Amino acid sequence: MVRQARIAISEEVRGANLLLSIDGELDISTVPLLEQQIEAAHESPTPLTLDLSGLTFMDSSGLRLLIELSERAQREAWKLSLVPSRHESANIVLRITGADAALPFSERAPE
Amino acid sequence: MDLDSAQLIQDLAEAEREREQLVQELRHALRGSERRFEAIVGSLTDAVTIRDREHRFLYANSAAIAHLGFDSWEQLRDTPPAQIMKDYLVWGEDGGVISMDDIPSVRILRGEQAEPLLIRSVHQDTGAERWNLLKAAPLLDEDGEVEATITIIEEVTERKRAELRDAFLAQASAALASSLDYEQTLRNVAQLAVPGIADWCAVDLLDEDGDRRTVAVAHVDPQRLSLAEALRGYVPEQLDPERGIGRVLHTGEAVFYAEIPDQMLVAAALDERHLELLRAVGFHSALIVPMRLGERILGAMTLVAAESGRALDKFDLELSEQVAARAAVAIENSRLYSARSSIARTLQQSLLPEQLPEITGYELASIYLPGVETSMVGGDFYDVWAVRDSWLIVIGDVTGKGIDAAALTALVRHTVRTASEFDASPSALLEFVDRTLKKRPVLSVCTAMCVRLQGDRATLAVGGHPLPLHVSTEGVRELGEHGPLLGAFADACWGEHEVHLQPGATLLAYTDGITDAQGQGGVRFGLGRLREAVAELADRPAAEVVDGLARRLAEFQTGAHSDDTAAIALRRAVAGSAGADRAQAHEVTRAGSAPAMTATKA
Repeated sequence: MVRQARIAISEEVRGANLLLSIDGELDISTVPLLEQQIEAAHESPTPLTLDLSGLTFMDSSGLRLLIELSERAQREAWKLSLVPSRHESANIVLRITGADAALPFSERAPE
Repeated sequence: MDLDSAQLIQDLAEAEREREQLVQELRHALRGSERRFEAIVGSLTDAVTIRDREHRFLYANSAAIAHLGFDSWEQLRDTPPAQIMKDYLVWGEDGGVISMDDIPSVRILRGEQAEPLLIRSVHQDTGAERWNLLKAAPLLDEDGEVEATITIIEEVTERKRAELRDAFLAQASAALASSLDYEQTLRNVAQLAVPGIADWCAVDLLDEDGDRRTVAVAHVDPQRLSLAEALRGYVPEQLDPERGIGRVLHTGEAVFYAEIPDQMLVAAALDERHLELLRAVGFHSALIVPMRLGERILGAMTLVAAESGRALDKFDLELSEQVAARAAVAIENSRLYSARSSIARTLQQSLLPEQLPEITGYELASIYLPGVETSMVGGDFYDVWAVRDSWLIVIGDVTGKGIDAAALTALVRHTVRTASEFDASPSALLEFVDRTLKKRPVLSVCTAMCVRLQGDRATLAVGGHPLPLHVSTEGVRELGEHGPLLGAFADACWGEHEVHLQPGATLLAYTDGITDAQGQGGVRFGLGRLREAVAELADRPAAEVVDGLARRLAEFQTGAHSDDTAAIALRRAVAGSAGADRAQAHEVTRAGSAPAMTATKA
């Protein structure tokens, strides 16, 4: 199967923060790309922000990655911040699983 | 093909009003100077002819002279009327043969009202096909008698063929989506292609070893198929990559023989008998188009124009290429589906109930379509079992990797079954699974939806899972409320929701593989389409609900389906139906390849 690039990840260092902005679709086939990128770019205990505002779709495997990150952040004592998507289609999975309330979402990326 | 040309006629009605005016002017002009008449009509791009009562030409403008295949007015004038059309085969729009008596100008001479007539003509020598709209009006003498007729011939070939192409593509697409048995769908498409495009159509597929296999041969007249059978005996072991179908399968580029002269057959024939057979086909022109996906060539479609005398042209080539491209997608989808089914057999045996139990007064049916993504294995599960006075149904989705996810799935199933012996309330079961998952050393999360069925009363709790649908002829609605994912968050708790199931009502639980499935352009199936699909299946038995849903999903989906997909339907039997009176095991099977594993109890 020809798979198109359905996800775009941009990386930016803001002060002590690492900011990854993710556009496109985070699903079972694009989750590995984001995982690899985080593994390559992020080092504990640097605070990490995932800006998901440009995400148009997320499935349960995308959610699982966020939960894993959140758990690791707690265990390794670094700060994870999540900026929610502007698109309902990406937020459904967060809402139906209660993750919108339980994960460290904030409306904006740190300056 | 039965095609509606109403639109075309309607478009032309407007043009007709303009022409009415023209005819008025012509009448005027005929009485006036011939030069002025020629100035008006001579420059028209539409062909205009005037014939006398014996159907001899009195006048033809230059467009008409060219249209009828003549070089000069004198040449046309001196040719007897019967000779002019002898080179053409003419049909009406419905495919019926058109005789002189049907021509509008002839009908006017008989004193009839003549409607515009759309005709298709094929030149017997060149095979060129044309569509013309004939419109005629009487020219009256001073006593009001018909003196002559004026005919305007508008060539509408391009518009008519565009219309036919769209209709043909729509039919072909529908045929390709009609079944997951791609060999059957290719046969259906081949049948559509004759006489839609050509007289013969054959479809060849390349298998994994690069060998070709003919899966469909169609001809307008099925009796002629024996000819194809006889010719197949001459198919060489090794296809010549420089020529014909071998070239198409090798290069992925179409080949087009606008004309097939006899010497081409002589050159291709292996022996006398072969040449005889080739000549018997009556080849006029042929084209071979690849069925390809990117660089991969799946096979080829061959179209041959023979005894109809029509020559294939660039237009047919384009149309055939479009059909072949659609066919390639259908083949790929179907093959992926078959591959998935074989993974299904393995996974299903270990993680899903081998058979759904029988619940008196209810029908129960499920589908399970495993995803093909290899890095994330896991996945969906469901289970149905009895505890004392009630039945429990659970469906869930474990997202994880490899063996761990499979082990987690097994753990959840066992946990929830064991826990139900102590407390069968759905919210208590979710709490128990949540606590068990949180004790695991690695992050272990899953979604689950649990239903307890007591008589007609269903109590349910939902943990991070899509809400089940209540489906009846009155509509489709989501049941219950969202609760948190299991194993993920601190201080989680779940509420319960109760519903009474009326006879004929269905409770449909599903996993997000259904709503997340991707179609053309990456569009997701979504809750909207799911609701529409089940609304249409509202009065159907449970087995047909899940089966119909699987079919709709397959039609929607393009390419690989990455995530697991499961659905389970519980329908309260309608009094008097088989399901209400007795439990009956019923395995749903399909002809050809099985697109989904379906377990059913009614």
